[in-house]
Amino acid sequence: MELYELNLRDAIAGLRDKKFSASELFDSCKARIDSCEGKIHAFITRTDSTPQPCANPSGLLAGIPTVLKDNLCTRGIRTTAASKILGEWRPPYDATAWKSLKEAGAILMGKVNMDEFAMGNTCGNSAFGPTHNPNDISRVPGGSSGGSAAAVSAGYVPFSLGSDTGGSIRQPASFCGVYGLKPTYGMVSRYGLISYGSSLDQIGPFARTVEDLQVIMSVISGHDPMDSSSFRDRPHDFSRKDDFSLKGKRVALVKEFQDFTLDAPIAEAMAKTRKILEDEGAIITEISLPVVARYAVACYYALAMSEAHTNLERYDGVRLGYTVKDAPGIKEMFERVRSYGFGSEVKARIIAGTCLTEPTRCEEYYVAATKVRTLIAQEFTRAFGETEFILQPVTPSLPGKIGEPEEDAMKGYETDLYTLPVNLAGLPGLSFFTGYAGSLPVGLQLIGPRWSDSDLLNTGIILERHLGTPKIANGGEC
Amino acid sequence: MPELTFTPVIGIEIHIRLKSDSKLFCSCSTNTDAPANTNICPVCMGLPGTLPHLNHRVVEQGMLAGFALNCGIRPKSLFFRKSYFYPDLPKGHQVSQCDLPITTSGYIEVHDSDGNLKKIRVHHLHLEEDVGSLHHSGSDGRLEGAATSYVDYNRSGTPLAEIVSEPDVASSAEAVEYVMTLRRRVIYSGASDVELEKGMMRFDANVSMKCSDGRWGKKVEVKNMNSFKALERAIEYEIKRQRKIMLQGGEVMQETRHWNDAKGVTSPSRVKESYRKFIVEPDLPPLYISQEWIDRVAARMPEMPDVKANRYVADWGIPREVAEVLTDDKNLAAYFEGCVEVGANPVRAAHWVRTEVLRVLNETGKKIGEFTVRPEVLAGLVARVDDGKLSTTQGKEVFDHMCASGSGIEESIKALGITEGGVAGNALTEIIASVIAANPDVLEEIRSGKDKKGKKLKFLQGLVMKETKGQAKPQEVAEAIAEAVK
Repeated sequence: MELYELNLRDAIAGLRDKKFSASELFDSCKARIDSCEGKIHAFITRTDSTPQPCANPSGLLAGIPTVLKDNLCTRGIRTTAASKILGEWRPPYDATAWKSLKEAGAILMGKVNMDEFAMGNTCGNSAFGPTHNPNDISRVPGGSSGGSAAAVSAGYVPFSLGSDTGGSIRQPASFCGVYGLKPTYGMVSRYGLISYGSSLDQIGPFARTVEDLQVIMSVISGHDPMDSSSFRDRPHDFSRKDDFSLKGKRVALVKEFQDFTLDAPIAEAMAKTRKILEDEGAIITEISLPVVARYAVACYYALAMSEAHTNLERYDGVRLGYTVKDAPGIKEMFERVRSYGFGSEVKARIIAGTCLTEPTRCEEYYVAATKVRTLIAQEFTRAFGETEFILQPVTPSLPGKIGEPEEDAMKGYETDLYTLPVNLAGLPGLSFFTGYAGSLPVGLQLIGPRWSDSDLLNTGIILERHLGTPKIANGGEC
Repeated sequence: MPELTFTPVIGIEIHIRLKSDSKLFCSCSTNTDAPANTNICPVCMGLPGTLPHLNHRVVEQGMLAGFALNCGIRPKSLFFRKSYFYPDLPKGHQVSQCDLPITTSGYIEVHDSDGNLKKIRVHHLHLEEDVGSLHHSGSDGRLEGAATSYVDYNRSGTPLAEIVSEPDVASSAEAVEYVMTLRRRVIYSGASDVELEKGMMRFDANVSMKCSDGRWGKKVEVKNMNSFKALERAIEYEIKRQRKIMLQGGEVMQETRHWNDAKGVTSPSRVKESYRKFIVEPDLPPLYISQEWIDRVAARMPEMPDVKANRYVADWGIPREVAEVLTDDKNLAAYFEGCVEVGANPVRAAHWVRTEVLRVLNETGKKIGEFTVRPEVLAGLVARVDDGKLSTTQGKEVFDHMCASGSGIEESIKALGITEGGVAGNALTEIIASVIAANPDVLEEIRSGKDKKGKKLKFLQGLVMKETKGQAKPQEVAEAIAEAVK
């Protein structure tokens, strides 16, 4: 067994017991990246030409290699959000989540690919070209955190960080066959995460075991005075609880989603998982989420685009990133910088957001969406009075082929219905591996009430025990 | 046909820099005089990934300013993003409480043209961040057409209070009284120093005209006034301009106009106001202010100037005019009260501060805070004049000497060669004796009864007064000489 194949817990133990050295682990991961990257194309910027110094040799993650989605700011290291508009920008500060990892001793191997400004679900809307799914390189890895999922799936690193605004951790985790947690909004500081939809964005981890997610959450969760939306009071215990049991706990299916068509392997995974939960003593129930089913997609896009267009106003070529030198006036400078710097999906969402908040329409769209969001959150609160967890797919279909003609854009948005209500209500969602359909992994999603992240992960451990742990993907035959 | 009359309808928006060591959403220093772009950080530069975090001390400053305008405090207020593109605006939007402000409505009292008190209603006060500052080379000091423009972000994120009035102002005089009274009260509250010369107070005015024939002119927003004088002149110019248009039967266009202080005119703004939209700032939670917090800050509110002036009149019998002068400046009032506290007679002390202290400040161009004669020292001087130990003239001489030299009362008295309590008794007798001895012919004339009009006696008195350096009481000198020549 190669060192790069070790999951996080075993890598930590191996280093601690001096079975191998940090530099041996680094070399193994680097060699793995070197042999696969030509086919997978997960990186935007590699930082592994020489090992970065370990900031804390006695830390929990001392010597553990990792990668970050390229919308997380890294001091002195190019951060692009997969956009041309940021140019060669090197942030003068570290995102809090990365700072926490660094201070625990983690080693950065590089910054990985994503859809530009996290807008997309294929990792194909990147100024740096698409990333390939390590399980089948003809297919998409999912998005927007496609690079983070692919890197863990291909065995580049034992864990990575991504961000999830409407499913951007859970969907690529599912497509690549790894575990991904979208934590409760406020659980992990967003400081240093380049914003897409600020009230929906949340940073979370990818790993090849559920227990590894627990380890990462114990490092990156917590209050940060730099993020007013990060939680203050409650301490969170992410340690593994061996006495955790599903006996008597209720797991609900959403009534309104039952008529939707699913790819056969996903429907089978649902049945298989349901059986496991029942065997573990859980009670399968049904809840009704009519507002979610009817309005969540429209509500989500109205809010995400409204927030996004104001978050992207700062890219004007004055202070950082791509700029032009020969514009005749300031207005022309702004126009040229933004016309060249943003990709077409980003422009589409800026225009949509501008229209949705335009004074004559603002009440009807943006303000209405904020009200619907409150109703959705209330609907979930009621639902979690009747159940402990909700089980549902992450997506209705398995990953598609790269470069397949884009379907109707609105249909692409519909496929997000399983993931984005979680962001609207600020809930935690775990994307977990259930097995393979041919070469492709099949993932499902478990959702809990706010701040139930720890219970979700302990449930995930039980599911992993029954469903098996994913293998390192070798679709690229590297 | 009766002559048409016009009534101006004016609303005023004021931006005031709130007093705070650190910026509204980060911990950078608010010192904008520092070298360009030295008081900046990722947050106030709006770098990707940064988030604002609210400085709670600034919230309290906003509350104090609100109290000064008789406003209430809202238990829940929100921050919004006000979008427009400009190079001095790092995020492409300004974070402002424009749509759900920290305060409810309030008012400021001014005098109308008949001298009666009238309330100018304050619609609200809200908190917002300031933008950076632009410096242009070439051109006429504006962005358009400048050869090169530089941006200094030191000011970016410094805390502002925007105060929006109802359109209750009817003249430029009312406008000036409104902003002066408002400024004085805000300074009193401690919310801001409102140093005009540092640009800590900026004005916009919405001016429209109502004609006696029933016509209403459209609202014109006039921007770019940075002084009371500019505000007054801009409003007067705009009233005349709009009146002329309406007299000629024309229609006043709704527009934004720019005040050019050098030329003394308003002209249509060359920058088309980008149209603005507001969404809730998703990175800041609602600002909740508990009654307990309100009470705690309210307890810090000092006595307002009008209340103070009334107290001076009622409790101490100080003339209203003097009371108003003393309370115009918070620090001057504190100085005066410092004198009274250590026992000075309030009326006398008020008079001294009103005339002497203000005269010296005026002559030296200093502020009361820099004034070297401490209130307890002035109180001591006032007491000595009151007791008759020093004459009023001597008192003023001592005061001037203290101001100029920085020395205390005793030293100044000594330096000026003043004998405290005046020259009397034996000292006076001796001086008189020597004066008489030196003028035997005059004595002879008096004794012989030739000095019928008392001219020679007056002559001797004058010599004695000169010898005593004016420190003898004239009455006493006259009596003593009369006795001595007998």
